[in-house]
Amino acid sequence: MSESTGQTILAVDDSASMRQMVRYTLETAGYKVVQAADGVEALEFAKANPADLVLTDVNMPRMDGITLVRELRALDTYKFTPMLVLTTESGPEAKQRGRQAGATGWIVKPFNPEQLLATIARVL
Amino acid sequence: MTTSSDSRPAGEDASVEAPSEWTPEQQIAHMLGLCEAQMESALAESDQAVDTLIKVFTNLGDTVRELRQLSAELPPELRERLEGKLGEHIATINNQIATAVVAFQFYDKLTQRLGHVRYSLTSLAMFVCNRTQTTQRDQWQRLFSTLRRLYRTEEEREVFKLVLQGASADDARAHSEQQASKRAASNAGDIELF
Repeated sequence: MSESTGQTILAVDDSASMRQMVRYTLETAGYKVVQAADGVEALEFAKANPADLVLTDVNMPRMDGITLVRELRALDTYKFTPMLVLTTESGPEAKQRGRQAGATGWIVKPFNPEQLLATIARVL
Repeated sequence: MTTSSDSRPAGEDASVEAPSEWTPEQQIAHMLGLCEAQMESALAESDQAVDTLIKVFTNLGDTVRELRQLSAELPPELRERLEGKLGEHIATINNQIATAVVAFQFYDKLTQRLGHVRYSLTSLAMFVCNRTQTTQRDQWQRLFSTLRRLYRTEEEREVFKLVLQGASADDARAHSEQQASKRAASNAGDIELF
Protein backbone atom coordinates (compact mmCIF):
# COMPACT_ATOMS: atom_id res chain seq x y z
CA MET A 1 0.00 0.00 0.00
CA SER A 2 1.14 3.56 -0.66
CA GLU A 3 2.03 5.74 2.25
CA SER A 4 -1.08 6.88 4.12
CA THR A 5 -2.45 10.24 2.99
CA GLY A 6 -4.17 10.61 6.37
CA GLN A 7 -7.39 11.40 4.51
CA THR A 8 -10.67 9.57 4.97
CA ILE A 9 -13.07 8.83 2.14
CA LEU A 10 -16.67 7.83 2.79
CA ALA A 11 -17.65 5.36 0.02
CA VAL A 12 -21.37 4.72 -0.37
CA ASP A 13 -22.82 1.97 -2.58
CA ASP A 14 -25.48 -0.69 -2.05
CA SER A 15 -23.47 -3.22 -4.05
CA ALA A 16 -20.94 -5.07 -1.91
CA SER A 17 -18.75 -5.88 -4.93
CA MET A 18 -18.64 -2.21 -5.97
CA ARG A 19 -17.70 -1.20 -2.44
CA GLN A 20 -14.86 -3.73 -2.53
CA MET A 21 -13.59 -2.38 -5.85
CA VAL A 22 -13.71 1.20 -4.62
CA ARG A 23 -12.11 0.34 -1.27
CA TYR A 24 -9.30 -1.59 -2.96
CA THR A 25 -8.60 1.25 -5.40
CA LEU A 26 -8.59 3.97 -2.74
CA GLU A 27 -6.59 2.04 -0.14
CA THR A 28 -3.94 1.32 -2.75
CA ALA A 29 -3.43 5.07 -2.99
CA GLY A 30 -3.16 5.44 0.80
CA TYR A 31 -6.65 6.70 1.66
CA LYS A 32 -8.55 5.44 4.67
CA VAL A 33 -11.93 4.15 3.47
CA VAL A 34 -15.17 4.05 5.44
CA GLN A 35 -18.02 2.23 3.73
CA ALA A 36 -21.81 2.61 3.87
CA ALA A 37 -24.46 0.55 2.06
CA ASP A 38 -26.97 3.37 1.57
CA GLY A 39 -27.65 7.05 2.18
CA VAL A 40 -29.14 6.56 5.64
CA GLU A 41 -26.09 4.64 6.88
CA ALA A 42 -23.74 7.21 5.30
CA LEU A 43 -25.60 10.17 6.81
CA GLU A 44 -25.55 8.56 10.23
CA PHE A 45 -21.79 8.11 9.99
CA ALA A 46 -21.24 11.60 8.60
CA LYS A 47 -23.17 13.30 11.39
CA ALA A 48 -20.78 11.81 13.95
CA ASN A 49 -17.55 11.72 11.95
CA PRO A 50 -15.81 13.98 9.49
CA ALA A 51 -14.70 12.65 6.09
CA ASP A 52 -12.42 14.42 3.64
CA LEU A 53 -14.41 13.28 0.60
CA VAL A 54 -17.67 11.47 -0.14
CA LEU A 55 -17.99 9.11 -3.09
CA THR A 56 -21.55 7.95 -3.59
CA ASP A 57 -23.71 5.86 -5.90
CA VAL A 58 -27.12 7.25 -6.90
CA ASN A 59 -29.63 4.40 -6.83
CA MET A 60 -29.72 2.88 -3.38
CA PRO A 61 -32.45 1.69 -1.03
CA ARG A 62 -33.69 3.87 1.85
CA MET A 63 -31.89 7.02 0.68
CA ASP A 64 -30.44 7.71 -2.77
CA GLY A 65 -27.13 9.41 -3.44
CA ILE A 66 -28.61 12.72 -4.60
CA THR A 67 -30.63 13.09 -1.39
CA LEU A 68 -27.53 12.13 0.59
CA VAL A 69 -25.49 14.89 -1.07
CA ARG A 70 -28.27 17.40 -0.37
CA GLU A 71 -28.51 16.32 3.29
CA LEU A 72 -24.75 16.42 3.76
CA ARG A 73 -24.47 19.89 2.24
CA ALA A 74 -26.90 21.09 4.91
CA LEU A 75 -24.45 20.04 7.63
CA ASP A 76 -21.86 22.61 8.67
CA THR A 77 -19.10 19.99 8.72
CA TYR A 78 -19.79 18.94 5.10
CA LYS A 79 -20.54 22.33 3.55
CA PHE A 80 -17.25 22.40 1.65
CA THR A 81 -16.42 18.68 1.50
CA PRO A 82 -15.89 17.37 -2.06
CA MET A 83 -18.67 14.96 -3.02
CA LEU A 84 -18.37 12.83 -6.12
CA VAL A 85 -21.22 10.82 -7.59
CA LEU A 86 -20.24 7.43 -9.06
CA THR A 87 -23.08 5.93 -11.06
CA THR A 88 -24.19 4.07 -14.20
CA GLU A 89 -26.53 6.98 -14.97
CA SER A 90 -25.13 9.28 -17.61
CA GLY A 91 -28.12 11.34 -18.72
CA PRO A 92 -27.97 15.14 -18.51
CA GLU A 93 -31.09 15.28 -16.30
CA ALA A 94 -29.51 13.06 -13.66
CA LYS A 95 -26.30 15.12 -13.74
CA GLN A 96 -28.33 18.29 -13.37
CA ARG A 97 -30.02 16.86 -10.26
CA GLY A 98 -26.58 16.03 -8.86
CA ARG A 99 -25.26 19.49 -9.55
CA GLN A 100 -28.30 21.14 -7.94
CA ALA A 101 -27.95 18.95 -4.84
CA GLY A 102 -24.40 20.19 -4.40
CA ALA A 103 -22.25 17.41 -5.87
CA THR A 104 -18.71 18.35 -6.84
CA GLY A 105 -18.54 15.99 -9.80
CA TRP A 106 -20.07 13.08 -11.68
CA ILE A 107 -18.26 9.87 -12.65
CA VAL A 108 -19.90 7.28 -14.90
CA LYS A 109 -19.35 3.59 -14.05
CA PRO A 110 -17.37 1.58 -14.84
CA PHE A 111 -14.62 3.73 -13.37
CA ASN A 112 -11.00 3.47 -14.36
CA PRO A 113 -8.93 3.23 -11.13
CA GLU A 114 -6.24 5.65 -12.34
CA GLN A 115 -8.78 8.24 -13.50
CA LEU A 116 -10.77 7.94 -10.28
CA LEU A 117 -7.65 8.53 -8.19
CA ALA A 118 -6.59 11.47 -10.36
CA THR A 119 -10.03 13.07 -9.96
CA ILE A 120 -10.02 12.57 -6.20
CA ALA A 121 -6.55 14.06 -5.92
CA ARG A 122 -7.75 17.02 -7.96
CA VAL A 123 -10.77 17.87 -5.80
CA LEU A 124 -9.20 17.17 -2.40
CA MET B 1 -47.68 -47.11 -9.69
CA THR B 2 -50.10 -44.75 -11.43
CA THR B 3 -53.77 -45.48 -11.00
CA SER B 4 -56.19 -45.00 -13.88
CA SER B 5 -57.89 -42.11 -12.07
CA ASP B 6 -54.61 -40.16 -11.71
CA SER B 7 -54.20 -38.11 -14.87
CA ARG B 8 -50.86 -36.49 -13.83
CA PRO B 9 -48.00 -37.14 -16.26
CA ALA B 10 -45.39 -39.61 -15.02
CA GLY B 11 -42.83 -37.93 -12.80
CA GLU B 12 -45.08 -35.02 -11.79
CA ASP B 13 -45.04 -34.30 -8.06
CA ALA B 14 -48.45 -35.28 -6.67
CA SER B 15 -47.85 -33.09 -3.61
CA VAL B 16 -48.08 -29.95 -5.79
CA GLU B 17 -51.78 -29.22 -5.75
CA ALA B 18 -53.45 -27.23 -8.49
CA PRO B 19 -54.81 -23.87 -7.31
CA SER B 20 -58.47 -23.86 -6.35
CA GLU B 21 -59.40 -21.46 -9.15
CA TRP B 22 -57.77 -22.10 -12.50
CA THR B 23 -57.41 -19.09 -14.75
CA PRO B 24 -55.11 -18.47 -17.73
CA GLU B 25 -53.89 -15.31 -15.99
CA GLN B 26 -52.82 -17.33 -12.96
CA GLN B 27 -50.83 -19.67 -15.19
CA ILE B 28 -49.02 -16.68 -16.71
CA ALA B 29 -48.34 -15.33 -13.22
CA HIS B 30 -46.95 -18.72 -12.16
CA MET B 31 -44.61 -18.83 -15.16
CA LEU B 32 -43.42 -15.28 -14.48
CA GLY B 33 -42.85 -16.23 -10.84
CA LEU B 34 -40.86 -19.24 -11.99
CA CYS B 35 -38.63 -17.06 -14.20
CA GLU B 36 -38.04 -14.71 -11.28
CA ALA B 37 -37.16 -17.56 -8.92
CA GLN B 38 -34.71 -19.09 -11.41
CA MET B 39 -33.08 -15.73 -11.98
CA GLU B 40 -32.79 -15.09 -8.25
CA SER B 41 -31.11 -18.50 -7.67
CA ALA B 42 -28.66 -17.96 -10.52
CA LEU B 43 -27.79 -14.49 -9.20
CA ALA B 44 -27.24 -15.74 -5.66
CA GLU B 45 -24.88 -18.44 -6.94
CA SER B 46 -22.89 -16.07 -9.15
CA ASP B 47 -22.72 -13.49 -6.34
CA GLN B 48 -20.78 -15.98 -4.25
CA ALA B 49 -18.44 -16.82 -7.13
CA VAL B 50 -17.77 -13.17 -7.94
CA ASP B 51 -17.20 -12.39 -4.29
CA THR B 52 -14.52 -15.08 -4.18
CA LEU B 53 -12.91 -13.73 -7.35
CA ILE B 54 -12.83 -10.20 -5.97
CA LYS B 55 -11.18 -11.44 -2.78
CA VAL B 56 -8.57 -13.29 -4.86
CA PHE B 57 -7.78 -10.12 -6.79
CA THR B 58 -7.57 -7.90 -3.75
CA ASN B 59 -5.30 -10.47 -2.03
CA LEU B 60 -3.17 -10.51 -5.16
CA GLY B 61 -2.85 -6.74 -4.87
CA ASP B 62 -1.74 -7.08 -1.24
CA THR B 63 0.84 -9.72 -2.22
CA VAL B 64 2.25 -7.44 -4.92
CA ARG B 65 2.65 -4.64 -2.38
CA GLU B 66 4.46 -7.01 -0.02
CA LEU B 67 6.76 -8.12 -2.85
CA ARG B 68 7.61 -4.49 -3.55
CA GLN B 69 8.46 -3.96 0.11
CA LEU B 70 10.58 -7.12 0.18
CA SER B 71 12.48 -6.09 -2.92
CA ALA B 72 13.50 -2.90 -1.10
CA GLU B 73 15.15 -5.05 1.56
CA LEU B 74 17.34 -6.99 -0.87
CA PRO B 75 21.13 -6.61 -0.52
CA PRO B 76 22.30 -3.65 -2.66
CA GLU B 77 24.06 -5.76 -5.34
CA LEU B 78 21.01 -7.99 -5.82
CA ARG B 79 18.61 -5.07 -5.74
CA GLU B 80 20.58 -3.27 -8.43
CA ARG B 81 20.42 -6.34 -10.64
CA LEU B 82 16.77 -7.20 -10.05
CA GLU B 83 15.07 -3.88 -9.35
CA GLY B 84 14.29 -2.99 -12.97
CA LYS B 85 12.94 -6.39 -13.95
CA LEU B 86 10.99 -6.75 -10.70
CA GLY B 87 9.50 -3.30 -11.11
CA GLU B 88 8.37 -4.21 -14.63
CA HIS B 89 6.66 -7.38 -13.42
CA ILE B 90 4.96 -5.58 -10.55
CA ALA B 91 3.74 -2.85 -12.90
CA THR B 92 2.34 -5.52 -15.26
CA ILE B 93 0.45 -7.22 -12.43
CA ASN B 94 -0.87 -3.86 -11.21
CA ASN B 95 -2.12 -3.03 -14.72
CA GLN B 96 -3.86 -6.37 -14.93
CA ILE B 97 -5.52 -5.82 -11.56
CA ALA B 98 -6.71 -2.39 -12.72
CA THR B 99 -8.21 -4.03 -15.83
CA ALA B 100 -9.96 -6.57 -13.58
CA VAL B 101 -11.36 -3.76 -11.41
CA VAL B 102 -13.04 -2.31 -14.51
CA ALA B 103 -14.26 -5.74 -15.67
CA PHE B 104 -15.80 -6.59 -12.29
CA GLN B 105 -17.92 -3.46 -12.47
CA PHE B 106 -19.78 -4.93 -15.44
CA TYR B 107 -20.99 -7.67 -13.12
CA ASP B 108 -22.45 -4.99 -10.89
CA LYS B 109 -24.17 -3.50 -13.93
CA LEU B 110 -25.51 -6.94 -14.83
CA THR B 111 -27.01 -7.53 -11.38
CA GLN B 112 -28.58 -4.07 -11.47
CA ARG B 113 -30.19 -4.79 -14.85
CA LEU B 114 -31.41 -8.21 -13.76
CA GLY B 115 -32.88 -6.58 -10.68
CA HIS B 116 -34.97 -4.41 -13.00
CA VAL B 117 -36.05 -7.48 -14.98
CA ARG B 118 -37.09 -9.22 -11.76
CA TYR B 119 -39.13 -6.22 -10.69
CA SER B 120 -40.79 -6.10 -14.13
CA LEU B 121 -41.71 -9.78 -13.93
CA THR B 122 -43.21 -9.38 -10.45
CA SER B 123 -45.18 -6.29 -11.49
CA LEU B 124 -46.46 -8.00 -14.62
CA ALA B 125 -47.47 -11.13 -12.66
CA MET B 126 -49.56 -9.03 -10.27
CA PHE B 127 -50.97 -6.97 -13.13
CA VAL B 128 -52.22 -9.87 -15.27
CA CYS B 129 -54.11 -11.37 -12.34
CA ASN B 130 -56.37 -8.35 -12.24
CA ARG B 131 -58.78 -8.69 -15.17
CA THR B 132 -60.19 -5.20 -14.71
CA GLN B 133 -56.75 -3.75 -15.27
CA THR B 134 -55.71 -5.90 -18.21
CA THR B 135 -58.64 -4.77 -20.33
CA GLN B 136 -57.87 -1.08 -19.89
CA ARG B 137 -55.32 0.54 -22.12
CA ASP B 138 -54.53 3.37 -19.69
CA GLN B 139 -53.70 0.81 -16.99
CA TRP B 140 -51.16 -0.78 -19.33
CA GLN B 141 -49.70 2.65 -19.99
CA ARG B 142 -49.43 3.25 -16.26
CA LEU B 143 -47.64 -0.09 -15.81
CA PHE B 144 -45.22 0.73 -18.65
CA SER B 145 -44.38 4.15 -17.27
CA THR B 146 -43.75 2.65 -13.82
CA LEU B 147 -41.41 0.07 -15.35
CA ARG B 148 -39.71 2.63 -17.56
CA ARG B 149 -38.70 4.66 -14.51
CA LEU B 150 -36.68 1.66 -13.30
CA TYR B 151 -34.26 1.83 -16.16
CA ARG B 152 -31.21 3.92 -15.41
CA THR B 153 -29.02 3.51 -18.45
CA GLU B 154 -29.55 4.75 -21.98
CA GLU B 155 -29.27 1.18 -23.34
CA GLU B 156 -32.04 -0.07 -21.07
CA ARG B 157 -34.32 2.82 -21.94
CA GLU B 158 -33.68 2.35 -25.64
CA VAL B 159 -34.50 -1.37 -25.60
CA PHE B 160 -37.64 -0.66 -23.60
CA LYS B 161 -38.79 2.02 -26.04
CA LEU B 162 -38.10 -0.06 -29.15
CA VAL B 163 -39.81 -3.18 -27.82
CA LEU B 164 -42.90 -1.20 -26.84
CA GLN B 165 -42.92 0.27 -30.33
CA GLY B 166 -43.15 -3.26 -31.69
CA ALA B 167 -39.52 -4.16 -32.46
CA SER B 168 -38.44 -7.75 -31.81
CA ALA B 169 -36.18 -8.32 -28.79
CA ASP B 170 -33.27 -9.19 -31.14
CA ASP B 171 -33.73 -6.07 -33.26
CA ALA B 172 -34.05 -3.83 -30.22
CA ARG B 173 -30.92 -5.29 -28.69
CA ALA B 174 -28.93 -5.01 -31.94
CA HIS B 175 -29.94 -1.36 -32.32
CA SER B 176 -29.14 -0.63 -28.68
CA GLU B 177 -25.73 -2.30 -28.95
CA GLN B 178 -24.93 -0.19 -31.99
CA GLN B 179 -25.86 2.99 -30.13
CA ALA B 180 -24.03 1.84 -27.00
CA SER B 181 -20.77 1.31 -28.86
CA LYS B 182 -21.06 4.86 -30.23
CA ARG B 183 -21.63 6.17 -26.71
CA ALA B 184 -19.05 3.91 -25.02
CA ALA B 185 -16.07 6.08 -25.76
CA SER B 186 -17.74 9.21 -24.47
CA ASN B 187 -19.70 7.86 -21.47
CA ALA B 188 -17.93 5.00 -19.67
CA GLY B 189 -15.50 6.43 -17.17
CA ASP B 190 -16.77 9.87 -18.11
CA ILE B 191 -15.85 12.41 -15.46
CA GLU B 192 -17.45 15.80 -15.15
CA LEU B 193 -16.55 18.28 -12.45
CA PHE B 194 -19.22 20.88 -11.69
